[in-house]
Amino acid sequence: MSTNPFSLESKTILISGASSGIGRQSAISCSLAGASLVLLGRNKKRLEETANLLGPSSSCKIYYFDLTDEEAVNGFIKSINSSFITLDGVIHAAGVSTTLPLRFSSFDKQETILKTNVMGPINLTKELIKKKGALIDGSSVIFIASIMATVGEIGKTLYGISKGALVAGVKSMALELAPRKVRVNSISPGVVKSPMSASSAYSKDDESLAIIEKLHPLGIGDVADVANACVYLLSDASKWVTGSNLIIDGGYTAR
Amino acid sequence: MEEKFIIDLKEALEIEEHEVALTDKFRDYEEWDSLNRLSLIAMLDDEYGVQIENKEFEALITVADLINKIK
Repeated sequence: MSTNPFSLESKTILISGASSGIGRQSAISCSLAGASLVLLGRNKKRLEETANLLGPSSSCKIYYFDLTDEEAVNGFIKSINSSFITLDGVIHAAGVSTTLPLRFSSFDKQETILKTNVMGPINLTKELIKKKGALIDGSSVIFIASIMATVGEIGKTLYGISKGALVAGVKSMALELAPRKVRVNSISPGVVKSPMSASSAYSKDDESLAIIEKLHPLGIGDVADVANACVYLLSDASKWVTGSNLIIDGGYTAR
Repeated sequence: MEEKFIIDLKEALEIEEHEVALTDKFRDYEEWDSLNRLSLIAMLDDEYGVQIENKEFEALITVADLINKIK
């Protein structure tokens, strides 16, 4: 066993949303730290692209399905169980963003974002906890939230409530799973360069980008800034950290 | 089409009291702000299934330009 407390050697980490952005970079960073990986996403080709970015000696399995499809999730749980995969950590990086004024936030749109950003990851966690041996005692579960869970922005009501739900849920899950030494934390990033922020069609002109950049005293972040925090929260270096929300925002909320 | 669009536009920008002409430059409306901008883009998507990239949106100047976009 490694003496480096930040090492992920001999750990197996499950990462959802691994086909792009923070999820993809987390796969790369965890692999560099020595972890074996189980990668989830909806798109096989893009998951394979992520797998190809990992070193040749890295161990990685990919599964592609929609996390809002309960049956598919059950099938996945059975599959890892029959492959004798036991997990030491989970990063819930799957999620979608939207910038929509309140008056356009229809019931359908509320449902879509809550299903993807909240119900999918909570359900997957529940199934992993229920299945004996899937998630080992002492493991670490991370939800990628957002600073929009704690501060607001025009058009971010739906995204904010979805991320706020995760930050709130983490605290109770942390208490509930503490007897098993399972740690549960969230990370709240500010804006980082990723396909999600790039495709944010409602706020992508140069002027808005300059405003967003100004709101981050250290500028817009990189996905690696978030992935490195994941490595910490998955590693034994954070064995006394649970129920917390780690804010990584280049100073956005320091004001 | 034009009539319906102008009603939708007025509603999105909350300018129901205004007269709107096809030649109007919508960014010149007194009420124009970042929320209105979001609302207009959301309305085009919601009502007309038209998703516009920002660069494309910046090139639309008049109400007639918007109508051409949804045609």
